[in-house]
Amino acid sequence: MSYALIVGEVRRGIFEERNLDTIGISSLLGKETCLLIPDNAYTISEKQVDTIIKVKTDEEAFLNPLNLVGIVEQAMNTYGKPDFVLFTHSSSGMESAAYLSGSFGLPLITDVSGYDKDTGAFYKSYYSDKIFGEFRCVGQAPYVLTVRSGSFKEFVAEKAAFPKIEFIENVAVNTSRTFIEYVEEEKTEIDITKAEFLLSVGRGIGNKDEIPNYEELAGLLRAVLSGSRPVIDKMWLPKPRQVGTSGKTVKPKVYLAMGISGAFQHIAGMKDSDCIIAVNKDAGAPIFQYAHYGIVADMHKVRDKLKEMVKG
Amino acid sequence: MNVQVNRILTCIQCGKCTGSCPEAGKTPFNIRMLIRKKQFQYAIEEGIPWYCTSCGACTLRCPRDVKPSEVIIDMRSALVEDGQIPLSLQKALEDTFVQKNPWGRSRSKRGAWTEKLDFEIPHVSETKEKRLLFVCCIQAYDPRCMVIPANVARILKKADFEFGILGEEEACCGNEIRRIGESGLFEELQEENTTNFKEYGVKEIITLSPHCMNVFKKEYGDTGINVSHYTEVVWELIKNGALDIKGQYEKKVIYHDPCFLGKQNGIFDQPRNILSAINGLQLLEFSRSREISLCCEGGGGRMFFEVETTYQRNADLRVLEAIERGADMITTACPFCVMTLEDPATEKGQVVKELSEILMEVL
Amino acid sequence: MNILVFTKRVPATQEEELRILGDGKEVDLSKLPFKVNDWDNYAVEEAVRIAEKTGGTVTAISIGDAESDEVLRRAIAMGVKDGFLIEVEKVLQDPYARAMLAYNFLKKENIPFDTILTGVQSEDDQFASVGGILAALLKVPYSSMVIGIDNIDKDHLVLRRELEGGLQERAKVILPCVLSIQSGINEPRYVSIMGVRKASKVERKIFKAKDYEENMSSLIEVVKWVYPPKKGGATMLSGELEEICKQILGIIKEKGVYQ
Repeated sequence: MSYALIVGEVRRGIFEERNLDTIGISSLLGKETCLLIPDNAYTISEKQVDTIIKVKTDEEAFLNPLNLVGIVEQAMNTYGKPDFVLFTHSSSGMESAAYLSGSFGLPLITDVSGYDKDTGAFYKSYYSDKIFGEFRCVGQAPYVLTVRSGSFKEFVAEKAAFPKIEFIENVAVNTSRTFIEYVEEEKTEIDITKAEFLLSVGRGIGNKDEIPNYEELAGLLRAVLSGSRPVIDKMWLPKPRQVGTSGKTVKPKVYLAMGISGAFQHIAGMKDSDCIIAVNKDAGAPIFQYAHYGIVADMHKVRDKLKEMVKG
Repeated sequence: MNVQVNRILTCIQCGKCTGSCPEAGKTPFNIRMLIRKKQFQYAIEEGIPWYCTSCGACTLRCPRDVKPSEVIIDMRSALVEDGQIPLSLQKALEDTFVQKNPWGRSRSKRGAWTEKLDFEIPHVSETKEKRLLFVCCIQAYDPRCMVIPANVARILKKADFEFGILGEEEACCGNEIRRIGESGLFEELQEENTTNFKEYGVKEIITLSPHCMNVFKKEYGDTGINVSHYTEVVWELIKNGALDIKGQYEKKVIYHDPCFLGKQNGIFDQPRNILSAINGLQLLEFSRSREISLCCEGGGGRMFFEVETTYQRNADLRVLEAIERGADMITTACPFCVMTLEDPATEKGQVVKELSEILMEVL
Repeated sequence: MNILVFTKRVPATQEEELRILGDGKEVDLSKLPFKVNDWDNYAVEEAVRIAEKTGGTVTAISIGDAESDEVLRRAIAMGVKDGFLIEVEKVLQDPYARAMLAYNFLKKENIPFDTILTGVQSEDDQFASVGGILAALLKVPYSSMVIGIDNIDKDHLVLRRELEGGLQERAKVILPCVLSIQSGINEPRYVSIMGVRKASKVERKIFKAKDYEENMSSLIEVVKWVYPPKKGGATMLSGELEEICKQILGIIKEKGVYQ
């Protein structure tokens, strides 16, 4: 049977929006879609998939790659080998996809962001996202893919009928890795996801000492200060202010990015902003492909001039 | 090792070093005390050696040849070898290793500043005089400073003064690298640059940055190459009539002596002479000028590292004094000074122009 | 504790313009500077810290060309005891092939380990898979995105892994295991040039990849290399700084976030 097995992205009772990308690529590939999720009450849009396979195990066990491999194996034994096993390229997806590939010797392409229908090749980014490799699987199916979030959701098509519901029971739980607990980041008053206007600084800022100057500018413009990963890694801004896949996803009205090159992990965290204004010294910075307005200039000079104009 | 220890032991704790240090009083950095601690082999607080701006005043003033600047470099070397240095300094050093400039900008773009010119600059090997214009990392890459090599190139061309460049083959001179204490990296840079100088038969080096001039003249060993700062060359060209200053420049211009040009290498007059040769230009002086010029705090690795203490920076004081003296602009002949002065200057509505920028308006 | 850490030499591409040669056949890496993969640097630092804490030793392994010796010397300068180079003739793009090569090597050479560390991904291929595949081949537990190791015991460790949106997960993993280390887990120590020179005195063992190629085939292949499609792109604002800033203020006023 020509089907794609989608390993659902779930976390703390939420069926994540990025599942649309795996559902989308399955549709694009022309496969019947089987969604594999834990047997919990998730809110899933009604007619997006053909079959939902509910696994009788708790969410944390499902997300554990050691267990997931067994679950997928059970699914394959029951329903036959799928053509594709699809994951989102996320913290759980990348783990489980790799572990699955190693467990059964399955071809694996990760972070897929495009598909060429004519050649059957998948686009995968390389070299700081500056080059795409067109990859093909040459081994035996099923092929394992992880897909970049936002890349295929436009291909989700409504199905004619409601999905069939199937169940998988007797799931073996491996004890060599066990979930202990979730750790929330420290609660602070700042929630950048609620800000309308974010002034975000990146590695171009160069120096911790420049932060107060940007705080000042943010204050003058009534924006909230945020940053990209390099700035947070260096602890120049606290973690709650990080924009990106491992930080917060934001959708403000205005996102003013200064000194941010536009690594995909950052773009993923802000690309749905209403208006993205990017300031960067490097005319070739990838961020200019996602921004609405671009300025090739020294961020400090722009900051100082803006400050001068606002104060004066 | 022995010679170094002996030097420290000759210190009589007169305090002239701390007395002339731009960091003394407002930061926890006290060079006299550090030498004292070294004499007794006491531990030094980790962050302290990074305050030094390498202005050299302490070493110039010391009556005992203790060379406190070198002692600081030794302290930093120990921290560097231990790996325990601030992240931003690590990055600057690692970037210098990979891309031969502390900002990690692509080596292949080191010659990009020439794109703004409407004439070609030959590779130094293709020139007759084998005169090398050494551009410097800041001026090759920083958008604000890229105009400086372009200006100087135009000025020299106007005077029919032959010169060539290394383009992508130019590597960081290593002046700041050595002062940060990474002697291994400094040696690599020195070797790369001197190999190129030898291979291309370089006879003269004209530097745009006093830092580059300093290290080539004093710390690259006996290269047999004549090293000068571009202001020396330009003054000669004005004197012998090769450059004709026509324009009027009705401005009050205050000149800031860079430490590596002025106090450390004795070049005070040439920049002033150039400015004085401009009609209408009124040359003003800071209260601390020439040998006692106030260090802008851009050197010694300070450009890549932020110290813990918050205090009023010297650059801030300079700008305030310039405004107080009624200057229309501050001028200087060092890219570190330009960058460090420009931040507070822009905030306070004062202008900073590098010397070549003024020259371009009057030639 | 026996710790193995994988480290990779990659081209520095952040600041560079890349060219594709031969109508998509290959990417021109010839003029690029090379460096250690950022994630692997964090992994090596973490490995050395674990060894310092538990009194163990660290061995660094690199799969690559002869030049990859550079990253082994660097690892040794950071405190790793031994460096092994598995020298390949041609770059292996497929992470499965690389993981299989590593697996065969560990088995054939009988290399003991309590923990294997890799970086979450490489800066060049960004696959983020070799660690997970290797763990599955070795039949040991695995965790990626490790942002902190809170506790190490004789037979297990407690770690935190990074999830989306600032959330973390605390998990217990039984040894032996494979972990993929996320950037920011620690502050790596600086490696001086002199330190690397000193490290050169420690012998790095070289092994030939072709001796470990059982069952090692590429399951995926590159058809060709292309430039990413330009996504329309930004409207570039130009002019003098003053003019540009006026426009910026105009835009944000129009959006209603600033008056």
